[in-house]
Amino acid sequence: MPLSEELKARITAEFPKYPERRAVLLTALHFVQEECGGWVSPDVVPEIAELLGILPIDVEEVVSFYPMYHSDPVGRFHVQVCTNISCCIRGARGVVRRLEENLDVLSGEVTGDGLFSIGEVECLGSCGTAPVVMVNNERFVENVSADDVPALVERLRARAAAGGTNGSNGQAGGR
Amino acid sequence: MTERSGFKKPVKVVIDGREIVAEAGEMLLQVALDNGVEIPHYCYHPKLSIDGSCRMCQVKIEKAPKLAISCNTPVADGMVVDTKAGEVVEARKAVMELLLLNHPLDCPICDQAGECYLQDYSFGHGRSEARTTSPRRKGVKRYPIGPRVVFDQERCILCRRCVRFTHEISKTDELRVFGAGDRSRIATSQDRPLDNPYSINVADVCPVGALLSADFHHKRRVWFLEETETVCPTCSNGCNVKIGAFRNRIERLVPRRNDEVNDTWMCDHGRLNYAFVQDDTRLREPAIAGREPREPVPVAGPIDYTRDSDGREVRAAGPSVDEAIAAAAASLRAAVATYGENSVAVVLTPTLTNEETLLLARLVREELKTPHFALAVPLGLSDDFLIKPEKVANARGARDLGVGPGDGGKDLAGILAACASGEIKVLWVVGSDGLVAAAGLDAVEPAVANLEALLLQDTNRSALTDRATVLVPGCTWAEKDGSMTNHAGRVQRIRPALRPPAGLVADGEVFARLASALRGEATAPFEPRTAFAEVAKAVPSYVGLEWARLGSRGLAAGQGA
Ligand code: SF4
Ligand code: SF4
Ligand code: FES
Ligand code: FES
Repeated sequence: MPLSEELKARITAEFPKYPERRAVLLTALHFVQEECGGWVSPDVVPEIAELLGILPIDVEEVVSFYPMYHSDPVGRFHVQVCTNISCCIRGARGVVRRLEENLDVLSGEVTGDGLFSIGEVECLGSCGTAPVVMVNNERFVENVSADDVPALVERLRARAAAGGTNGSNGQAGGR
Repeated sequence: MTERSGFKKPVKVVIDGREIVAEAGEMLLQVALDNGVEIPHYCYHPKLSIDGSCRMCQVKIEKAPKLAISCNTPVADGMVVDTKAGEVVEARKAVMELLLLNHPLDCPICDQAGECYLQDYSFGHGRSEARTTSPRRKGVKRYPIGPRVVFDQERCILCRRCVRFTHEISKTDELRVFGAGDRSRIATSQDRPLDNPYSINVADVCPVGALLSADFHHKRRVWFLEETETVCPTCSNGCNVKIGAFRNRIERLVPRRNDEVNDTWMCDHGRLNYAFVQDDTRLREPAIAGREPREPVPVAGPIDYTRDSDGREVRAAGPSVDEAIAAAAASLRAAVATYGENSVAVVLTPTLTNEETLLLARLVREELKTPHFALAVPLGLSDDFLIKPEKVANARGARDLGVGPGDGGKDLAGILAACASGEIKVLWVVGSDGLVAAAGLDAVEPAVANLEALLLQDTNRSALTDRATVLVPGCTWAEKDGSMTNHAGRVQRIRPALRPPAGLVADGEVFARLASALRGEATAPFEPRTAFAEVAKAVPSYVGLEWARLGSRGLAAGQGA
């Protein structure tokens, strides 16, 4: 799927804010994920590169560096558990394990219905309320314990059943 | 070395108590290395941009708040540097420990072992014991990252030299660091192959055994290699190389630094073009038509050798080199006597040394006195970096020495036409590959079909081998001593790395013996060093060049004055 003209225009509009075009990459990748199903597919990489005057491999390198960018599809609810030091000490591993059991997929995978995926991310900057979970780009869920996982998953399922775009990864908006 | 172009302000620095004069702007690490002070380093490479990522080159600088990386610290006047201070030693140990944390330590099966910075610096600067108990990170091993390069991810220390090479030197940008933290790894885009004309250089810049030449993979422990400094024979750029040989076979070529020629790089094609020296196409037995053995001319494989009591190979049957030379001389003399000098022609593929070429040129002018003398230069693709269109090493030298038609002489096409028409009766070919490549088999076939004699001096089997009336097998560049002149006029030494096949002599010696056979009197045996003195007199721009001063990097024509 090629980048839409609107999306290109949105990226181009950022150019004046930065000293050079390549610096727009991070913002551009956020826009792409918002509008293209939550991930950066290999199809759009050359287009992004051309727009910014860099090589496709430069885009791929950056996507691979940050856990917030995805080179593979994610679920409509991408459940990210911080597994950095504070969260780990306070039980983040157990949260990941319980998510894996509950959703019957491994960390890094997407459920068969495309609703959920589990990701592990670096410090979210909220160590005081560790462990921390972030669904898509939404508000943090704080002080999460493994036992909180079933309720969290149910809430998300309910939102999905209620329909609407709110909460679907692509339209989550905001950063 | 920093380019010393233009005037730069000299600065004085003190390194480990020694006062050193350097130029403003030079980096401390390079200044230290240039002055024989070894500061360990991984990511710094003199021909790549500075990365500053490995932290191995840290030193203590007086009045500086903390240790500094010497690779990215410009020297300043009055700088006082300590490369051996306690905190420096500790910092290096810490860097080594970090780098070895996930290293597989599979030195026993690693091709890099013996020339590995990780080994050397562990030996010199590491801890003697490991403090970790956790398992090491796993990564791909023996992965063909490109057609000519093997990748071992576990051994990579992420110095980014290979990334910078593909960005700055080959300009092909195949490699990047993907991922972050301990998931960082070198990879290509979408697993595309690392494939460019210079790809194997990444194995040379890689300080560890992470990127390796597929051709040399698990072939030989490097400490068994005998290394010889010489020049690549595959095109006229004359890249400086080292032959690594084991038991009289070439196991690999690696580039050698010469800032005037190839910096520190070479192309993959040149690096891998050595099999002809030792494969089954190599000609090892002289042949004379009508004498056994004749069909086919014996080559490698079941050769007609026996061994003498010292284990040396001894020819059991067939003509010797001297008999072949005598037959060639007889054929040349008969043609000149019967049909005149113009019935003889000589074609040279310029793979010979300057000294050999000089002897051949004299032989043609002074003994044969034929004007029909042509160069046959195979041409091919080139680029704006190292690879040159002339696919032989010494075309420039042959031209400098005046190889070419004499008064009223024919060029290559003219010679072949005259052979076909019967005007030329005897054709003497020195190296058939250039002839076939330059003129095409379609032009060569009718020419040799109509000859009274085809005299062939060659190293490898070709379309002409079986057509030869007399075949004199010669030596390859790897078996010779001498000089060659690259496309830009740089005169460089080649040196013998191998003993030639039993009974064979260098082409220069063939010419010397042929000259004495033609003259009917003894001539001095071929001696490259003395012949070079003649070469230096024969070419105006070589005047003053001396054998001893050619050294390992050669001299530019005109530098003798
Ligand atoms: S593969 Fe070798 S050159 Fe490339 S980053 Fe790793 S250690 Fe450095
Ligand atoms: S560029 Fe020419 S001289 Fe250099 S390595 Fe390649 S073939 Fe040999
Ligand atoms: S370690 Fe999890 S928020 Fe900082
Ligand atoms: S050599 Fe200086 S940081 Fe690597």
